[in-house]
Amino acid sequence: MAGLTFLGLMVKPGWEVVSQIKPLEPSPAPEGFSGKKWAMAVDLKKCWEAKEGCKDCILACHLVHNVPSIGSLKEEVKWIWTIEYGKAFPEHLHDFNRDEYRGRPVIVFCNQCDDPPCVKYCPTRATWKREDGIVMMDFHRCIGCRYCMAGCPYGSRSFNWRDPRPFIQKVNLEFPTRTKGVVEKCNFCEERLAKGLLPACVEACKEKALIFGDLNDPNSEMRRILMGRHILQRQPELGTKPKVYYMV
Amino acid sequence: MRNKEHRLIDQEIPLLEHVRRSGKGFYLTISILIALVLWGVYAYLTQYRIGLGVTGLSRQIFWGVYITNFVFFIGISHAGTFISAILRVVKAEWRRPISRLSELTTVFILFFGVGSVLIDLGRPDRMLYAIRYAHFRSPLLWDVCSIATYLTVSSICLYLALIPDIAIMRDIGMKKRQWLYEILSLGFTGTEKQWHRLEKAIMFMSIIVIPIMITVHTVVSYVFAMTIQPMWHSAIFGPYFVAGALFSGIATVITIMTILRKVYHLEEYLKPIHFYNLGTLLLAMTLLWLYFTLGEYVATFYGNEPSQMAIFWSKLTGQYAPLFWLHFILCFVIPFPILANPKTRTIKGTLIASISINIGMWLERFVIIVPTLTRQRIPVEGAIYIPTWVEWSILIGCLSFFSLLYALFTKFFPIIPIWEIHEGRGKSIDEVKRRLQSYLPGKE
Repeated sequence: MAGLTFLGLMVKPGWEVVSQIKPLEPSPAPEGFSGKKWAMAVDLKKCWEAKEGCKDCILACHLVHNVPSIGSLKEEVKWIWTIEYGKAFPEHLHDFNRDEYRGRPVIVFCNQCDDPPCVKYCPTRATWKREDGIVMMDFHRCIGCRYCMAGCPYGSRSFNWRDPRPFIQKVNLEFPTRTKGVVEKCNFCEERLAKGLLPACVEACKEKALIFGDLNDPNSEMRRILMGRHILQRQPELGTKPKVYYMV
Repeated sequence: MRNKEHRLIDQEIPLLEHVRRSGKGFYLTISILIALVLWGVYAYLTQYRIGLGVTGLSRQIFWGVYITNFVFFIGISHAGTFISAILRVVKAEWRRPISRLSELTTVFILFFGVGSVLIDLGRPDRMLYAIRYAHFRSPLLWDVCSIATYLTVSSICLYLALIPDIAIMRDIGMKKRQWLYEILSLGFTGTEKQWHRLEKAIMFMSIIVIPIMITVHTVVSYVFAMTIQPMWHSAIFGPYFVAGALFSGIATVITIMTILRKVYHLEEYLKPIHFYNLGTLLLAMTLLWLYFTLGEYVATFYGNEPSQMAIFWSKLTGQYAPLFWLHFILCFVIPFPILANPKTRTIKGTLIASISINIGMWLERFVIIVPTLTRQRIPVEGAIYIPTWVEWSILIGCLSFFSLLYALFTKFFPIIPIWEIHEGRGKSIDEVKRRLQSYLPGKE
C-alpha cells in the first residue's frame, strides 16, 4: 500500500522532472511588456575610452538598489562589477591578441539567460523567468540555500552573509532593502522599466557604452547594433543563452 | 508464552543489564555530551543572530562544512540499511546481534543529515517554504522526498524489529516505563500468527528499503552532479556516492559496535567473528571506493579540459593538496593493509581502520565540494575557506547530540535484539541445516 501510494504521488513530480526538456513556462510580464525580450549590449570600445577607474554604472546601480558596501572580499554584495578580459572571455584569449586586451576591465552582471540554470535549482521558485526575459528574484521567498549560486556558471549572484542595512550608504526608499540570509542579483532594473525609465547603469554611463533594448522590436537600437558589430558572449557554449552582448 | 519468555530472558540476561542499570560512567558521558550539545546550540544561535557571515563561507565559496556534514551524515545512514536489510535478505546469520544497533545509527543520523542542511539555510525560519512552494525540478526537492521516504521506512524497519523485545520489556515489568512498553508493544504476545505476520512485514520492509537506500545517496549526489560546475558535473557521482556511503557507514557501525561492546560488556555477543566479517565487507568497500575515485580522476586527467584541470590540479598539487592526499591516506593507504590481512582484521584492527575511514570520508566530501567552488572557470583572487569556531562547534554538537540520543535509547531498549539471538539459538540452526542440505546433492 505504502509503495503504491508513494509511486502514485511521484507521478506528477516525476513528470515535471522528465519534461525538463523544454525550459519552464515563464511568468507573465507586466502590462505592455508582453512580447518584449529585454537584452543589454555592452560596447567595450566606448567603455575603454572612459577615464581610468570609472565606476559610474556600478555606483548608480548600487545606489538605486540599496546594495550594501560590506567592504570585504569574503562578504561583498555586488550586482555589477568589472573583471579582467581574460577571465570574462577565457576562450577568446589567444597568443595573438593577448597584449591588446590583457588586463582590460569588462563590466559583468547577471546575464538574464534564456535558459537560466539558477531557475532550475531553486527549491522554492524564489527565482523565476518572466515573459519579457528578466530572471526575477523574490526576496521574501528565498530560504537562502544558495543552490542558485551553485548553478550560475558566471558567479552573478551574491548572498547576504549578515544584515545589510547598516552597510547601505544612502537608502533609496523606493526599492526594498533585504534581510540577512537571502540571495540577490541584477534585475535589469525591472522596477525602473515599469516606470518607463532606462536601467540605472545605462543612464549613468557617460560614454553611452551600455545599450538596453527589446530584441523583439526589429527597429530597436539593440537590433541595429547587433547587426553591425562582432559580438562576444560569456561562455555561450554552456547553453544558458545569455542576453548580454559584448562588442569589442 | 510467559514461561517461554522467562526462559528466554534467563539466557540473555546480560542484554538487559544496560537497560536496567546505569553506572557512573554513563552519567559522566551524558553530562559531557549535553555540555557539547549546548555549546553547539550556542554556536548556532550566534549564527542565527548575526548571519552566516560568522562562518568561513564567502561569496566565492558559499558551501562548506555544513554541506559536507549533510552528505557525510546521509552517507553514514546507509550502514543500517545495508547491515540490517541486505544481510537479512541474503540470510546471513551473523547479522543477528548487530542489526538493531546499525538500524538505530541510520534512523538517528538522518535527523542530523537533514539538520545540517537546515543549519546551512540563510533563512531557516522559511524552511517549510521548500514544502509549501515545492519546485520539483530542483534536486534539493528530490532530496526532501527521498530522505523523507528513507527516514519513514527505516524507522518502520527499526520499530518492527523492536516489537518482540518491547513485549519482553513489558512482561518483565519496569516500574516507571511500563506504560511506554504497553503502548509500543501493540499487544504482541508471541503467537504463531503474530510471529508469522511480523516476519513477513520485516522481510517486506527490508526488501523495499534497499532500492530506497540506493536512491537516497544517488539523489544527494545529484545536488552536485546536476550542476554544470567543473568536477561536479560527472555521471559517476551517483554510484560513487553510494559506494562512499556504504564505505563510511560500515566504518561507523564498527566504531559504534566497539564502543558498545566495551561499555556494556557485550563481549559474549559481539564476537571477533562479527568484526572479522564486517571488516571483510569494509575491505570490499575500500576497493570499490578506490575504483570509483580512480575512475573519476583518471578520466578527468586524460580529458585535459581546461576548466576541469584547473580544479584537478588545485586538488592534487595546489591549494587543496594537503587535504586531498590526507584523505587518500586515511581512506585507502591506512585501512587497506589492515583489512586485507586476515590476521589484522581483529577488533582493534577494524576499529583503527574505521576511525581512519570516517575521518577520511569526511575530508573526501569536503574535497569534492570546496575546490570546485573556488571556480577556476572564472578564477577569483583570494578565494580561501577557513571554517570558523561556529562550524566546528556545530559539527561537534551534531555528533554529540547523535551520541546522546543513541545512549538514551539504550536505556529504554536492549541494543542487541534478544528475540533474534533467541531465534538464532533455536529455530535458525535447524533452518540453516536444512538449507545446507538443499544445496548438496541428494534429496532434502
